[in-house]
Amino acid sequence: MSVFLGDRPKPVRSLSRFLAFALIAIISVSGLTARLFYLQIVDGGRLATLAVRNQTVIDAIKSPRGVILDRNGRALVANVPNFVVKLRPSDLPLDQRLVVVDRLAALLGMSAADINATVDGNPGSAFDLVRIAEDVDEDTARLISEAGDELPGVEVDVEARREYTDGPLMSQILGYTGPVSGEQLKTLKDAGYLPDDLIGKVGIEARYESQLRGVYGSESVQRNASGRRTQVLRTIAEPRPGDSLTLTIDTKEQGYAQKALLWAMKKVGIKRGVVIVMNPQTGEVLALVSLPTYDNNVFARGISNASYAKLLNNPDKPLLNHATQAHYPPGSTYKLVAGTGVLADKKISATTKVRTRGYLTLGSTRFYEWNHRGFGACDIYCGFGHSSDTFFFQMAGKLGIDRLGYWANRYGFGQPTGIDLPGEVSGIVPSNAWKQNALGSRILPGETYQAGIGQGYDVVTPIQLINAYAALANGGTLHQPQIVREIVGPDGTVVQPFAPKVLRKAVAPASVLRTMRNAARRTVTLRHTWNLVDLPIKVAGKSGTAEFGTRDSKGRLPFHSWFVGFVPKDPRHGSFNGTGSELVALAFAYDSRTKGNVATEIVKYYMQLHFGIKKDYRLPGLLKRGNFYQSN
Amino acid sequence: MGVIRAQPARVTDWAAGSVGAAWRAFDLQLTTYAALLVAVGLVMAYTNSVESGSLPLEAGTTFGRGLMWAGIAVVVFVLATVFDYHWLKTLAWPIYALQLGLLVVTLAIGSGIGGSARWVSIGPFTFQFSEIAKILMIIVLAGYLAAREGRLDSLASLLGACFLVGPPLVLVMLQPDLGTSLVFAAILAGMLWMSGASLRWLTALAVGVLAMIPLAWTYLLRDYQKARLTSFLDANPDIQGAGYQLHQAQIAVGSGGIIGKGLTNGTQTQGDLLPVQATDFVFATLAEELGFIGGVVLFVLFVLLLWRVLVAGWRSRDAFGTLFAAGVASMVLFQLVVNVGMVLGVMPITGIPLPFVTHGGASLVSMAAGLGILQSINIRQSRAAW
Repeated sequence: MSVFLGDRPKPVRSLSRFLAFALIAIISVSGLTARLFYLQIVDGGRLATLAVRNQTVIDAIKSPRGVILDRNGRALVANVPNFVVKLRPSDLPLDQRLVVVDRLAALLGMSAADINATVDGNPGSAFDLVRIAEDVDEDTARLISEAGDELPGVEVDVEARREYTDGPLMSQILGYTGPVSGEQLKTLKDAGYLPDDLIGKVGIEARYESQLRGVYGSESVQRNASGRRTQVLRTIAEPRPGDSLTLTIDTKEQGYAQKALLWAMKKVGIKRGVVIVMNPQTGEVLALVSLPTYDNNVFARGISNASYAKLLNNPDKPLLNHATQAHYPPGSTYKLVAGTGVLADKKISATTKVRTRGYLTLGSTRFYEWNHRGFGACDIYCGFGHSSDTFFFQMAGKLGIDRLGYWANRYGFGQPTGIDLPGEVSGIVPSNAWKQNALGSRILPGETYQAGIGQGYDVVTPIQLINAYAALANGGTLHQPQIVREIVGPDGTVVQPFAPKVLRKAVAPASVLRTMRNAARRTVTLRHTWNLVDLPIKVAGKSGTAEFGTRDSKGRLPFHSWFVGFVPKDPRHGSFNGTGSELVALAFAYDSRTKGNVATEIVKYYMQLHFGIKKDYRLPGLLKRGNFYQSN
Repeated sequence: MGVIRAQPARVTDWAAGSVGAAWRAFDLQLTTYAALLVAVGLVMAYTNSVESGSLPLEAGTTFGRGLMWAGIAVVVFVLATVFDYHWLKTLAWPIYALQLGLLVVTLAIGSGIGGSARWVSIGPFTFQFSEIAKILMIIVLAGYLAAREGRLDSLASLLGACFLVGPPLVLVMLQPDLGTSLVFAAILAGMLWMSGASLRWLTALAVGVLAMIPLAWTYLLRDYQKARLTSFLDANPDIQGAGYQLHQAQIAVGSGGIIGKGLTNGTQTQGDLLPVQATDFVFATLAEELGFIGGVVLFVLFVLLLWRVLVAGWRSRDAFGTLFAAGVASMVLFQLVVNVGMVLGVMPITGIPLPFVTHGGASLVSMAAGLGILQSINIRQSRAAW
């Protein structure tokens, strides 16, 4: 101790307080040492393993998505570079998020709220990238990627985006790709899908997702704390590019079909319509148009919530493919089923005459002929040709609902056709069992009458209806309609060649179908469907007028118009005894209410375009709108 | 409220004593330990610079700036040593005004991440005035308490000290810099303890502070601060959010093992997996690259340094010297425990630098000033047989 205290005042110092302080210091540092010992020596092995894993990660190498060609080899989609701005939430410190999101919003011209919603709704974990903006222009992309540390967690990827050559023309067929949803990711994670991945959402893109996608490769990369790749260490597996698809669709025919439908829709003011063209010999779909539609390029570029809501809320459902995903009452086109049924079940022969009247009475209910007069004594040609309701009421009565349903099923009604487009619905073929199941009672005799003329409970999809007439045209083979003709591997080898898929070899005896084909030609030659008579090609077919909805003040119902028709192998000179027809076309006009049958005009216009007929046979006068319901 | 009395400075001390005597009183050990710690900091700055891919001596690298600041620190240390610390008692009030001024300026024109105001730019340098404010706070408190010698166990002295610390503490908290404001509190606690304040009143003060915690939690702290404070308590931490650095830091430390991976070989820091490895998490780099042995050597250096600081305080013949040493020791110990504890996952995440080691100019310069004043205290006492 000090011996030189001298005259100096005794300083403030307490040995016990000094020692206590020293003790605290020693205890604290010992505690730190113990913790360091635990982390580095006791737990060191585990943490060292984590460290190695931390440093290198396996990243996917995306495979180029397969392209889609039309039947003539025309590219319907191309992969174009797309600057995508993504964000990895774990790399964006909470206290910086506000600033970074605001900055990003300003750079991208988006609202900060939209970005926040996207980040918070991201399907993966906070470590996974979230897609913020698609198709960012190159200058903005460069600005953002150069901002680097000022935008922590934000990165710009160059990806391939789908660019659809024809946009809305093919949207209903091709569909589009979009970001994988959280729901999808749950089931697809094991298949190698990434949280920021793109996936076919609808149409061919969705149906052939696995073929188009190919197989992602993988590489081992080093990543830094900001999630940025610093170095690729090695490639583990090369990606396998997706297969390309050749469609049965002919862009030219698709254009004709759309042109014909648009013309009529514009002329009349119809909101929804469908045109389908098939080759009856193979089940190949040459054109499939469903209007209204959307532009799949808008989706591929990343659709805004507002635009998407607008499409969703459109009452005419542009996102729905009305050819396969919606069903409607078929009207008189369905008389094919009853006609085939009575002949095949030998209830009548081709020459049997049946009295047609102004109306039939069932109990106290009158079932009227469409012209309220009848057509006298009629055989099948006359009954089908005039589209006589009382004729087919009687035919349905002879068959009974279950036999009628049997023949409907033979033609493929009541079940999906199996066309390679997702979301197909099956329609309804009424039967006693069906009604018991659905409504809890048996079919009434009047309902059987209605079913015979395609009213009441029957509903069909346009694709079912054209497929049934295709089977009629080709002599009885019910095909599975196909949109994709061939699948070709990345090296050019054909992975899956085209082969017609037969659902049923003989829908009905050949002689019965020959009779029905000639009866279908009789609709034109009897001048029931007189607007096709003058055409230089021979069309056989059936029109339909299908009531739906609620009656107006005069007791009239709104109605849809149908026409489905086919031509012989030699369209100008051939005969409908033959089964070589290579063209069947269907038109459907929703809520048409035209003076004449607008669907027939649509098919006629399509045929003119298809066959290059110079003279214009269209009769716009028939397309006057009003409630002109008189003939089916 | 107590008054800091201006004492006539005894300039004669320096003049009377020979340079040789002063040199003998100079604590070479203290300076050596500090220099070694600074060297450790420079080595860490070097390894971080090499890792980030630049040449270590290139201008603007962590290492380059570290060397520059070390140079400035040496100058500050020498000036503080030569300067007669007795003047500090005279200048206590102006120093207090300067301290508050620096903090107000920081709040007014400072910049930082995410809307905070911590750094002030002076020419090409950015400077954290709150670091300087810590040393100034120790000077002011030591002056105040020394002036109340003899009445130090009174409630008035204790409250007076609290009132002195209050304004700077709040100004720092407003930046917001929770960590540094806690350092102020630790300095206050350590100095009150060493001043011989009444145990009863110290206990009462501690209870009062504890009672304030729920209030502060509810009304004062921001969400991210709460998240940082609690993430170390979480058994399954949110490793992508507030717990990310913590998680990465522990992986880095743990993977170091006994002898470490060797300088510049830290995979965690090399891969930049650990953010701010050059600043607040520098201990993680050290532990990864130099291992348990390196960590223990660092702790030993700190313990020895603290020992010499306490010795300087003990040897001081006046209360100012004793209390100043107590303040410096409290600050170093608190920052050491909180910073290293944070990296090791046993303390909350606060932006408190590791004294001497953390790359950061203001911190180093203020430590140099503190040690310089301690040496000034050492050489201005008559030699004691300690």
